[in-house]
Amino acid sequence: MGLLAPWFLAGIAALAVPFYVHLLRRHTTTPRPFSSLMFFERRTQSSIKHRRLRYLFLLSLRALLFLLLVLAFANPFINRTAANMNSEKLQLLVIDNSFSMRAGTRLADARREALSVLSSRRPTDKAQVMALGSQIQVLTQPSLDAGALRAAVDNVQPGDSRASYGELARAVRSLAESVPTPIELHFFSDMQKSAMPGSFSELALPANVSLVLHPVAKEAAPNWTVESVNAPGQVWDPKKARVQAVIAGFGTPAATRTVSLVVNGKTAATKTVAVPANGRATAEFQSLDVHYGFTRCEVRIDSADSFPADDEYLFAVERSDPRRALFVSDAGDSRSPLYFRSALGSAAESAFTLDMVSAGEAANQQFSKYAFVVLSDLISVPAQFESALLRYVQGGGSVWIAEGTSAAHTTRVPVFGGNILDSRDYSRTSDRYLNVADADPSHPSVEKADRWSGVKFYFAVRVDPGDARVIAHLTDGTPLLLEKKIGEGNILLFASGLDNLTNDFPLHPIFVPFVEQTALYLSGTERRSGARVVDSFLELRSSKEQSVGVKVIDPQGHRPLSLKESTSAQTYQLTSAGFYELQLANGRHDVIGVNPDRRESNLEIIPDDVLALWRGNSGVGTAQAAAGGSAQEQTQPYRLWWYIMLLVFAAAIAESLLADRYLGAQEQEDL
Amino acid sequence: MELRFLKPSILAGISGLELVAKTVVDGFIAGLHRSPDFGFSQEFAEYRAYSPGDDLRHVDWNVFARTERAYLKRYRGETNSILTVLLDASNSMKFSSHSVSKMDYARFTAASLFYLAIQNQRDAAGLIVFDDEIRTYIRPSTRQGQLHRLLSGLEQAEPHARTDFAKPLEHFQQFLRRRGIVVFISDFYDSPEHIVRTIEPLRFHGNEVVLFHVLDPKEIRPEIGEPSTLIDLETQDRIEITPEYVRDEYRKKFDAHVEALRDKTRAAGMDYHLLVTDRPLDDALREYLSIRQGRD
Repeated sequence: MGLLAPWFLAGIAALAVPFYVHLLRRHTTTPRPFSSLMFFERRTQSSIKHRRLRYLFLLSLRALLFLLLVLAFANPFINRTAANMNSEKLQLLVIDNSFSMRAGTRLADARREALSVLSSRRPTDKAQVMALGSQIQVLTQPSLDAGALRAAVDNVQPGDSRASYGELARAVRSLAESVPTPIELHFFSDMQKSAMPGSFSELALPANVSLVLHPVAKEAAPNWTVESVNAPGQVWDPKKARVQAVIAGFGTPAATRTVSLVVNGKTAATKTVAVPANGRATAEFQSLDVHYGFTRCEVRIDSADSFPADDEYLFAVERSDPRRALFVSDAGDSRSPLYFRSALGSAAESAFTLDMVSAGEAANQQFSKYAFVVLSDLISVPAQFESALLRYVQGGGSVWIAEGTSAAHTTRVPVFGGNILDSRDYSRTSDRYLNVADADPSHPSVEKADRWSGVKFYFAVRVDPGDARVIAHLTDGTPLLLEKKIGEGNILLFASGLDNLTNDFPLHPIFVPFVEQTALYLSGTERRSGARVVDSFLELRSSKEQSVGVKVIDPQGHRPLSLKESTSAQTYQLTSAGFYELQLANGRHDVIGVNPDRRESNLEIIPDDVLALWRGNSGVGTAQAAAGGSAQEQTQPYRLWWYIMLLVFAAAIAESLLADRYLGAQEQEDL
Repeated sequence: MELRFLKPSILAGISGLELVAKTVVDGFIAGLHRSPDFGFSQEFAEYRAYSPGDDLRHVDWNVFARTERAYLKRYRGETNSILTVLLDASNSMKFSSHSVSKMDYARFTAASLFYLAIQNQRDAAGLIVFDDEIRTYIRPSTRQGQLHRLLSGLEQAEPHARTDFAKPLEHFQQFLRRRGIVVFISDFYDSPEHIVRTIEPLRFHGNEVVLFHVLDPKEIRPEIGEPSTLIDLETQDRIEITPEYVRDEYRKKFDAHVEALRDKTRAAGMDYHLLVTDRPLDDALREYLSIRQGRD
């Protein structure tokens, strides 16, 4: 017995009200004249006693009424065992159909055990079947129909998603709020450790849910997998394309694995790697000989383990001609074109041919044929050239502006539009140079930069950022890398030069990935990726591409989007592994390989003590108890406020009747 | 019968007993004109065959001329009576639960009777106001101004002391010359046996005795919701009573008292009439006329 809201007991102070009315506020009467008392008898003593008794009874009734009200608000409860509680309960059967359940006979075992639980349930208990992947999938409503429930269990198919036990707990918590009866949750899973949420508290289940776990995997099975593949999305020179595959072993002994590169279903190359015990090894293929257009590739290993589904890794490659980029610099500037061309040429995945022109020649160029344009430290930009560039950007083009020492002669950055506040020559200061203080790693340009450690900046232009996004700062707070969107296009401003006079960046190896990533980003190639993970979302259209039809063909050859969705859906979730064919709103055709989350390949199971803690956290339940068809003894708070309110109702009626009997006639008399 | 002008609550708003009496009686008579039950002194009643010794003045000579037979013409109420009202003016008559006290109601009743007797019936009327003593005595007369004297006596009658029927009756018997109608107006808070025993001698003299028992409705059915203290208006005694007693015992006793008084007075050849102060006055007037008619 306890109180769920004991602070309401402070309401007992309200008992003072009836005591005040009955005892402190004395009832006074004035003598009333009457014609003759010849028909009255003196009954003083009895009447006073009678009156006191009756009023004390009324007082008791009123005090009881207040007391019951206070008690009802304090929400008392008693602990009752589950067996004593409402005999009706909902059996909730959740079957894990995540990717790891493809290993061995796990899913079949889970289905068989679920059918066993269904067959042993009491006929009066409703049951509901759900499947757990990255999200809960409701397969039936709460039902007594054994046939429908068994059919739902039989139809649970293996998925490619990554299981999330936190999602399971969240869904059950939500369900428990709408289901009045106790819930007996039967969870059939391989109890994979990687499916646990970051915080154990996310697994908490409500008080009326008892968890019965049915582990279908007793121990972690050794498993090799192709953990990741690093391959270019676009190839313009097959001889320069490199494919790197990481082979990982989970709970495995040291072994030698054969890694194959399969192109359009044919093995193109084979490597043998020695994978250390419970470790990783990398296999690298030096060339990727593919035809023009999209090619479906995969890296495959001969794992010979119980989980062959994760032995391949899919990716798609598009072979095309190199794209063209325009590099505009002053005629006297020979350093920046040299460094930029070298960096772009050294990049493994860059597929650009660079056209070098001076500022004077650039005005006659047709910008639309270039993936992006670089303006390197121009002393002056002709107005005609600038307006043409601006139209190019607004139409979706990209411009990369590097401001070197020439910027000291101007007050604004061309095309970008920001005012130049001042130019700083750090070589004249005591520090002689500055470093990068912070960089936004979410931006592709600096994603691999590791904060450009060691790079010295001798000169930088301080530009008013306005509404531009600042990607990197120098240590004195000067914005170093800024990005602004104008129309459909982007402008990237590098507040220093691309030569080795204003900084020593070109001399550092990280200059190459910086240039490469920025070039890929500005050309839009960066957004293409030959491989994705199951359950990730694919952006189908930009904000400017509304009402334009898109086409998605899933690995089974179906079109999962309806006609309405194909013109309105912003994103699409990749729910199964395989190759997807896309036709996006911008008209671009694409093929992507989708692979299951490789955390599913780690078949390590949750320790028993953690499982016991989870069970204990939700009440009591064991697989053994479930096999017997009944939950273990457990106590649940049983709230009594409803019964107390019935008593309040009865007391209120009794009080009304009594008060009316005692006091009603007096009011009539007063009238 | 239209009785709206006879409602006591309306009469209480009229100043002057004469006006009250006139209003009551005129309204009452206007109602009686539509009633076949009663007549007045100059109203033809019947023909009776002449017998020797009858007054020749009453012979209808027109009928004799047509039929050569002598018939006497009879009128209702043609004989003069003496009306004496004995009005109880004890303190208990002060009791009131609404706008008209028992004393007011008794005054209205007496005034109406006087008006009816003097103005309409040309009877002699007298008044005795008493409590435990004789307070006012106006001997019956038909003289000019008798009605004003009677009404003035009524207006001066204020409740005093306690009721004692013996003394006024003793006094009354001293002045009793002729038989007449004696009307007692009181709340009769005494034992029925004592009341009847005291009043009964009047009947022996050939008087028609009528008891008008004036009671307030809240005397008959008191409404008391809680234990209370009551004060007797005559003795100033105090008593604590309970609502249950009032609801059960008191009503039984009171009903028994009224019943016993009615039975005993009628057994003694007297008339009894219960007048409740929230009811119209016509009951009293009707009773008077009924008796008046019976004496013809």
